[in-house]
Amino acid sequence: MSNAIDQTRRLLSLVTYLRERPGARVAEVARAFNITEAELMGDLAVLPMCGTSFRGGDLLDIDTDGERIWWHNADAADTVARPLRIAADEATALLVAARAVADLPGLRRGDREALARAVAKLETAAGDAASGSSRLNVTFEAEGSAFAEADRALSERRRLWLRYYSYGRDEITEREVDPIRLVTVGHTYLEGFCRRAEERRLFRLDRVVEIKVLETPADPPPVRLRDLPDYAAGLVQPAEDDPVVVLEVGPGGRWVTEYFAHDAAEELPDGGLRITLRAAEPANLRKLALRLGADGRVVSPPELADEVREVAERALAAYGES
Amino acid sequence: MAIPKAERLMNLALCLMNARRPLSKRELRASIEAYASLDGGPGGADEAAFNRMFERDKEDLRELGLVIETGESPLDGETGYLAKRASNRLPELALAAEEAAALALAARVWQQARLAGAASGALQKLRAAGAFGNNGGAAEGSPAREEEGRATVLEPRIPAHEPSFDKLMLAARERRPVTFAYRRSGAPEPGTRTVEPWALECWHGHWYLAGFDRDREDARVFKLSRIVGQVRTRSGGFTAEVPAHVDVREHVARFAGEGATATARVRLRRGVGWPLRTKALAEKSAEGEWDEVELPYGHGLAADLAEFGADVLVLGPEELRAEVLAHLRAAAGVKGAETA
Repeated sequence: MSNAIDQTRRLLSLVTYLRERPGARVAEVARAFNITEAELMGDLAVLPMCGTSFRGGDLLDIDTDGERIWWHNADAADTVARPLRIAADEATALLVAARAVADLPGLRRGDREALARAVAKLETAAGDAASGSSRLNVTFEAEGSAFAEADRALSERRRLWLRYYSYGRDEITEREVDPIRLVTVGHTYLEGFCRRAEERRLFRLDRVVEIKVLETPADPPPVRLRDLPDYAAGLVQPAEDDPVVVLEVGPGGRWVTEYFAHDAAEELPDGGLRITLRAAEPANLRKLALRLGADGRVVSPPELADEVREVAERALAAYGES
Repeated sequence: MAIPKAERLMNLALCLMNARRPLSKRELRASIEAYASLDGGPGGADEAAFNRMFERDKEDLRELGLVIETGESPLDGETGYLAKRASNRLPELALAAEEAAALALAARVWQQARLAGAASGALQKLRAAGAFGNNGGAAEGSPAREEEGRATVLEPRIPAHEPSFDKLMLAARERRPVTFAYRRSGAPEPGTRTVEPWALECWHGHWYLAGFDRDREDARVFKLSRIVGQVRTRSGGFTAEVPAHVDVREHVARFAGEGATATARVRLRRGVGWPLRTKALAEKSAEGEWDEVELPYGHGLAADLAEFGADVLVLGPEELRAEVLAHLRAAAGVKGAETA
């Protein structure tokens, strides 16, 4: 993420930071800026090339022995080391995110209040730059009561009992889960170790039918946060060996590509798409085909196409059609 | 070797911040190595290249928050630039540890590159300014630490993979009209839309734009994932008044079928169809293995019911029954189903 603009932004802050802290430790500075020590060393190589005029010899005289950082002419650089105001992008990024997080149902009261105070201070400090943030709004769907219970189980490190609706199989099952974290990507999910499947699983909170915090202490297998998936590319990551399914949709079924991770989507002459995807749960695609009706059909595998046809025929029979 | 862009931007920023009077382009070019080393020199073949680079650099510095003012350079009478200390100073700001931690959590939710960079940049700026206390947030019990503890509980993420996001965000902020190709749901070909963008909203993980559609002369909501190709900014300002409150969600929810206009009666096989039951207005047992359920009937209900195949039987109204039958006939491959 280190493009030139982000790096320049960081260099300017670094100058402010270093001026106040002569002899700052490399490890501490890297941590404060949330960058690696190698990235910091890269920044420290750029700074001595910077100054208010390269001809006047007033370059920033900043150097490091790899452990501590020294700025020998910091006093001369008073004007360039003052804390800079918050930019419009920065105010937007922080304020929109903070408001969205503050609106999460089930957020702890103390955290919500702290966030509200931070937002108010930031709005004041940012002044005009804050006004653009009202043009963006983000709503997380967090499913209040399930969220609150899952959050309590996490903070008390206790096991959860769930009745959970499985979409593909259209059934409700009971299971015990050792919670690991809550993840919000559009919907909010509980990530936990499912004692029934003996696996790490995601549970969508709006499909939790019933939830209880048990007395049993949670005992998930040890996992470091950084080893957990980031889910940046979507929650459902198909596996290589999941069966390949080909669908053809008309113009009215193009939305499928917005909601299903897919490998390919080729344009068809009628304005439709030929979509190739891998499905961990083919039952989900049977439901999708029924939902699409005339707007789409399963091309392959033939077994799935047959299954869709059979289900539809059985349903029609109930209406007296065959 | 070419001088890295960050070094060039940094030098321009420092020159402008250190200036006591407006500095002309000529002066800046002489002071900053990256500019001075461009071949040709002032008036030379690369004058145009320097001008383009300088304009872009100035825009980049403005993007990261530097207020650059213009005036006349007393040295050569040309337009000069400077970044006054008074315009660029961060006002006093002190955050308590838990406020800083809350803000740090919020800063991490963006997945959109530009705003993710801006968010972490803002935190660095605040930390450098001492807003998180004098240890800069690197010591025991500091925000950096609490941040980590907090992350075990909640990991919200704002997705923004749509390439049109940046342009639309800026256009809405600067109130500039935009033109883009948009594929309406179900339309085979995208059509051109000219829109005065009001606000962007992320709902259920998808981004929507609300604005005034100039051709339809009315407010409209667009889904960003249906914008095809480039968004272009148009000259001129807004022609329609921007409402004080733009409710994107209400509009999207109506389209998603949450605004029901009638009641439907369906039979549901016992034990299945939990999502339908959560929406039920009334529910009772019927004969055999069936329950009878009343549901709000709005846009999209037929598709919701068709998913359940033989586990659902529509009793009425007739219109809904016909719609569900059309879905099933198409899925069963009945001839002529497409025209049903």
